[in-house]
Amino acid sequence: MFEPVLLRNVDVPDGHLLATYRASGGYQALAKALDEHTPDEIIDLVKASNLRGRGGAGFPTGLKWSFVPKRAGKPKYLCCNADEGEPGTFKDRIIMERDPHQLIEGMAISAYAIGAETAYVYIRGEYTLAIQRLEQAIAEAHAQGYLGARIQGSDFNFVVHIHCGAGAYICGEETAMLDSLEGKRAQPRLKPPFPAVEGLYASPTVVNNVETLACVPHIVARGADWFRDIGPDKSPGPKLYCLSGQVRKPGLYELPMGISLRELVEDRAGGPLPGRKIKAVIPGGVSAPLIPAHGLDVGMDFDSLAAAGSMLGSAGVIVIDDSTCMVKVATRIIEFFHHESCGKCTPCREGLNWVVKVLRRIEAGQGAPGDLEQLEALCKGIFGNTFCALGDGAAMGLRAALVHFKHEFVAHIEERRCPYH
Amino acid sequence: MNMREKIQTAAARYPDQRSAIMPALLIAQKEHGHLPGPVLEEIADILDVERIWVYELATFYTLFHTEPVGMFHLQLCDNVSCMLRGAEDLLEHLEVVLGIKKGDTTPDGLFTLTTVECLGACEVAPVMQVGDDYHGDLNIARIDALLDRLRAVVGQATGAGIAAVAPPGE
Amino acid sequence: MVSITINEQTLEVEAGSTVLQAAERLGIDIPTFCYLKRLPALASCRMCLVEIEGLRRLQPSCATVVTEGMVVRTNTPLIDETRSSMLDMLLANHPLDCPICDKGGECELQDMVMAYGPRESQFRDAKRVFHSEDIRLSPVIIMNVNRCIQCQRCVRMCEEVVGAVALGTIEKGMDTAVTGFEGSLASCDQCGNCVEVCPVGALMSFPYRYKARPWDLAETDTVCPHCGTGCQLTVGTRKGEFMRVRSKAEHGVNRETLCVRGRFGLDFVTSPDRIERPMVRRDGTLVPVSWEEAGDYLRRRLLAIEAKPAGGLASPRLPNEMLYQFQKMMRTVFRTNNIDCSSRWSTPFDTLGPLVAGSYTRAPLEEVIGNDCVLVVGGNVTDENPVTEYLLRDGARRRHTGLLMLSARPSRLDADARAVLRALPGGEAASLAAVVAGLAAAARQAVPGDILAKIGTTTTGPGAADRLATALLEGRSVTVLVSVDLLRSPQARATLQQLNNLLQVLRLLGKGCAMQFLFDRANQLGAWDMGVVPLALPGLRAVDDEAAHATFERAWGAGIPSGPGADFDAMLELCDRGQMGALYIVGSDPLLSCPDRGFVQRALRTAGLLIVQDAFLTDTAGLADVVLPAASYGEESGTFTNNEGRIQKVCKFREPAFEARGNLAIFDFVTALRNQALRPSVQHEIFDEIARLIPAYDGLVRDGLGADGAFTKAALAPPVGEFFGPPSVPIATDRLMLVTGNCLFHNGYLSEHSEILNTVANDPYVEMGAWDAAQLGLSDCDQVVVRSAQGELTAQLKVNKQFPRGLVFVPENYRALRLNSLMRRKEYPCPVDIRKAHAAFEIATVAGAGAGPENLT
Ligand SMILES: Cc1cc2nc3c(=O)[nH]c(=O)nc-3n(C[C@H](O)[C@H](O)[C@H](O)COP(=O)(O)O)c2cc1C
Ligand code: SF4
Ligand code: FES
Repeated sequence: MFEPVLLRNVDVPDGHLLATYRASGGYQALAKALDEHTPDEIIDLVKASNLRGRGGAGFPTGLKWSFVPKRAGKPKYLCCNADEGEPGTFKDRIIMERDPHQLIEGMAISAYAIGAETAYVYIRGEYTLAIQRLEQAIAEAHAQGYLGARIQGSDFNFVVHIHCGAGAYICGEETAMLDSLEGKRAQPRLKPPFPAVEGLYASPTVVNNVETLACVPHIVARGADWFRDIGPDKSPGPKLYCLSGQVRKPGLYELPMGISLRELVEDRAGGPLPGRKIKAVIPGGVSAPLIPAHGLDVGMDFDSLAAAGSMLGSAGVIVIDDSTCMVKVATRIIEFFHHESCGKCTPCREGLNWVVKVLRRIEAGQGAPGDLEQLEALCKGIFGNTFCALGDGAAMGLRAALVHFKHEFVAHIEERRCPYH
Repeated sequence: MNMREKIQTAAARYPDQRSAIMPALLIAQKEHGHLPGPVLEEIADILDVERIWVYELATFYTLFHTEPVGMFHLQLCDNVSCMLRGAEDLLEHLEVVLGIKKGDTTPDGLFTLTTVECLGACEVAPVMQVGDDYHGDLNIARIDALLDRLRAVVGQATGAGIAAVAPPGE
Repeated sequence: MVSITINEQTLEVEAGSTVLQAAERLGIDIPTFCYLKRLPALASCRMCLVEIEGLRRLQPSCATVVTEGMVVRTNTPLIDETRSSMLDMLLANHPLDCPICDKGGECELQDMVMAYGPRESQFRDAKRVFHSEDIRLSPVIIMNVNRCIQCQRCVRMCEEVVGAVALGTIEKGMDTAVTGFEGSLASCDQCGNCVEVCPVGALMSFPYRYKARPWDLAETDTVCPHCGTGCQLTVGTRKGEFMRVRSKAEHGVNRETLCVRGRFGLDFVTSPDRIERPMVRRDGTLVPVSWEEAGDYLRRRLLAIEAKPAGGLASPRLPNEMLYQFQKMMRTVFRTNNIDCSSRWSTPFDTLGPLVAGSYTRAPLEEVIGNDCVLVVGGNVTDENPVTEYLLRDGARRRHTGLLMLSARPSRLDADARAVLRALPGGEAASLAAVVAGLAAAARQAVPGDILAKIGTTTTGPGAADRLATALLEGRSVTVLVSVDLLRSPQARATLQQLNNLLQVLRLLGKGCAMQFLFDRANQLGAWDMGVVPLALPGLRAVDDEAAHATFERAWGAGIPSGPGADFDAMLELCDRGQMGALYIVGSDPLLSCPDRGFVQRALRTAGLLIVQDAFLTDTAGLADVVLPAASYGEESGTFTNNEGRIQKVCKFREPAFEARGNLAIFDFVTALRNQALRPSVQHEIFDEIARLIPAYDGLVRDGLGADGAFTKAALAPPVGEFFGPPSVPIATDRLMLVTGNCLFHNGYLSEHSEILNTVANDPYVEMGAWDAAQLGLSDCDQVVVRSAQGELTAQLKVNKQFPRGLVFVPENYRALRLNSLMRRKEYPCPVDIRKAHAAFEIATVAGAGAGPENLT
């Protein structure tokens, strides 16, 4: 039986308080890191664990940290990506609401490893409870010397500030987040230079997801082997899965990386609603192409899902059953991307607007012959040509729906109505 | 602390005053309910940054309102997970009982109804945020009860009391 | 160098180049929208995508840096398809209202669709419409958001180049729109650079709106008449009428940018203040007459005062040929060296002459800004020379030039500076001396002891002067840019001496040095070169230089007086004492600009004969005995020498208005009245003579002045080797000290004749710091009275947070203010008191303002 690590305090009363956290062994990893390891050793440890970023892209965390120049002549920054905007995702919120110290400890160790003395947690403005809990936790940690100057008697100084977002999905994209933190309109930056070299205020900066950072204390406490032994070797570790949509037991699950999507949906989350059959599952937030019901035997890890033509993304698993119109789902997804497009690049800004107009027409029973070819042409114009991955995500999502559920689109156009109404 | 002091305190967290525009807008919106031009100018003045920068941010981010909103801002999530759990019906119901279309404010200024993108609480879909609070696992009965509760808050606090219990707003 | 192959052609390019730049070198066209040469790449339009071997996706060539052995293709079917697709997407929501769009015919989107676009769009849905009527962002800028393609050139131009940060982008995604704060650009620089770089008809010039189609315009390349930066511009006329100004990306010091004066301030040529006919004074009144009558009158009057000395003042906005001919006429026909080109200051030519002759760097500004350090002394470059400021900002931000500022007036550029030394008003000499001392103290071993003793090494301690000195010391090469407003002060000589010290110490320390002036008049350097000064002949050779004297007498076939002449102030004194015969003023308005208006007025009235040759009815013209209507800028051709020492063609684009004649023709006319003749008398022959006789202009050929002009040559003499002791330090008093100068919208009397500039300019104002204002109980926009020992004026208060205590500024070019009535001769800055105006007082000034030139009727 898999023993939850990341969620161990989540259902404990007062799990968000320092006392609770300490009682479960909290902050011992920080003490151990400071006492027993040099920063480089921590980086090596995380590298050895094969921890890959939980924000969506799955980039190896230790490798990212190693890009930070050792002597920069400038302050270095750690940014925690707590913007969690990917539809279907709520894991970071739950960590911050119920076990914020786990994140703080993770940040402190990570900052020690990369040589940062300041961190900003970029957190969604909507998450008022999480903000409040995190603020409280930061204050407690300060009071107890887990943050501030000369932490736990070492010569490591570290402070954490909260920066509240104000409702823009694109702020989750790490370079857009940096612009947002600098007080600009949140739009992605050109890379290179990469943030690790020139990030916030043109200083070396590491951006990591909440869940990624929360894994760090456990790796330090239990060792890299422990972590790598959970799930596939190239994509290991305990993982948080967000289950939502038309499924019996929506909620947050901590299970090994690589668990089969079918097991996750049908066993753990109780399967479809009574009397319904699963039609499709979006495995990693709406940026991840959907998988039709017959494809559920796929491992929930970065590589397996990529091989299956989708992606793990934020592990926001959305279950869609047979009562649902796929044209509507596709339209809603594209409407989301259209609404959240930052407007910087032509294909995303203009292309998605065009796509939305066509999809809405089809859904309303006003589609015309040629519309599907046009959607395909637009996907082609958008995919691979946008400035950041937002546009790609939209095009991939639409393509998957067009490929797997073409008949539903055709039915809308031919019958000039929605068959589900 | 007055608004200026709160903004200055927030600004101390950053090496560059421009970074404090977003926190300042959040603070100012709490204070004023929305963000009209003179408030934006005041922020620019406090932080000594360009006015256009403040204006850019006030319009880029959806949580900022340059126009007044109702005392209770009903923000119903209609993204995929909530949609799959019936958010559309809830919207229709809200439009009927409030007598307004989404995007509008009731004539008494109590409710503004908008739909929003994923609130990050899909485990309890459908979800609606009112002011700072999330309300999950909604259905029509729960929506009605919620509206009653909100109206009651105003009812109890007739006259001078309103400002004390209500979220800030015009 | 890096080797790269594009479309099967291999070439070597500098490391760090982009694929786009490399392709350009091969003449391979890659379409772009968001790319602008002088801005960092944005890579958002995605028009420039290319295939790079080994990479899965297409890459933006504008932002992709070449790597060794990179293989690029720009002409594959996939790229064609992608370009067409991008254009299709841009057109989907574009209004396609080309027939009524000002940009039609010169629109980059149109051109691009012709070249790469879809022949037919599949888009069938309703288009996005932001608004049905265009938005008037400012008096000169009007916006059609529907046409915007979001290249962000305008916004980046405004922030990165101009530094105004007036334009911005609001909303996001499809709702993204470019605009000003709360939808207005009312308080921006109005430079219109956003309009210039807009590839489509989104940002447009309001004055030009619906005036012409581009193909109906006759275009003339010429040079801006407003300040010494000397920007290239292209004037569009339609049927001989002035329509608009544009600028070209590739040419001139300005590379496409202009300031408000250049872009919108050329309509002065059609001002209602133009003098229509010659006028002569009869019974105390100026009456219009024919040219013949004016000639008869003038001949008679000239004869009557032949025995008395004459004097001449010509504007440093006149072309070289006119200035050269003017001084030749004054010297050979009026037989005087009483010649000047400035009514605002008395030039200490003994110090200035050698400095300009020996140290002035005649080279592209872009080059001299490339030095490690640039020290800007005096003035406010943002207001005086806006386009120079753009280049300085670019240097500081993109080329990491260490920008150092030393001035009494704060400027916007201070924000980009590495160190700022705020001098006391009039204390620039002392501040410079402190920097020199700091420099010498820090490099004691490199500076010989006797020099150290002379210049002193007492530093002011850790302060701005020392920071500045340290920065200078760190630089390998230093450029000093000097604002001419320093010449206004009675301390001017000391300031120039300290400047000389500074340059010499820098040279001693082995630094490469460059020096240029920042003139506020288009042809100030030319005027000096042409010898429109009392102490020097053309080529800045002293009047008592016998060889030079002989050269010119031989060349001109006439005798020229020896001995120094009087500067303009001394000429006025001669007038005042009743000793002046003919005073000949060309294109200048000393009654407005010369300190002590009362004195000037008295002096001009007592001149034996006041001849005013001008295009506009100035205050001074109102006092004249004879007024000769001259061609304005744009109505005759010639050359200007700008601050860089670059000589450029100024070209005629319309016929002289009414009965106005060319300035050269008028000189001939007047000379003929004395039964003499000036040879040669046509412009290109005069140019040839200049090229023959003035060493700096040696060998220049007028027709050889290409689109970028040509550089005059400096004969850089080793510095004189003389060091000067430190000046007396001005004592900081509690008095408010008034300094004057140009503001952005007005510089000199030309700009006030521009209707457009008058619309966008602020009302006349008085600027002071917040602390002083608070002390006096004044707030922004109050009407205030400024009083000096000599007079007073009323204007609106502008509180400027950047202003130091004790500093007051009033722009000098508002005729109605009569600012010079506050100033005393030989006193600058001017001590003043300021208080709130009373209502009664306001009424009085309103009546007083707007009153035309005195004594006209
Ligand atoms: C459009 C877009 C949205 C994203 N949103 C998020 C997000 O909400 N949270 C997150 O952690 N990462 C998000 N990412 C990924 C981040 O850019 C970045 O890869 C991540 O924060 C790095 O942290 P990690 O390595 O710990 O995953 C987003 C990426 C894109 C392109
Ligand atoms: S893909 Fe979309 S979100 Fe990303 S830069 Fe382009 S417009 Fe912005
Ligand atoms: S020019 Fe390269 S993306 Fe616009």
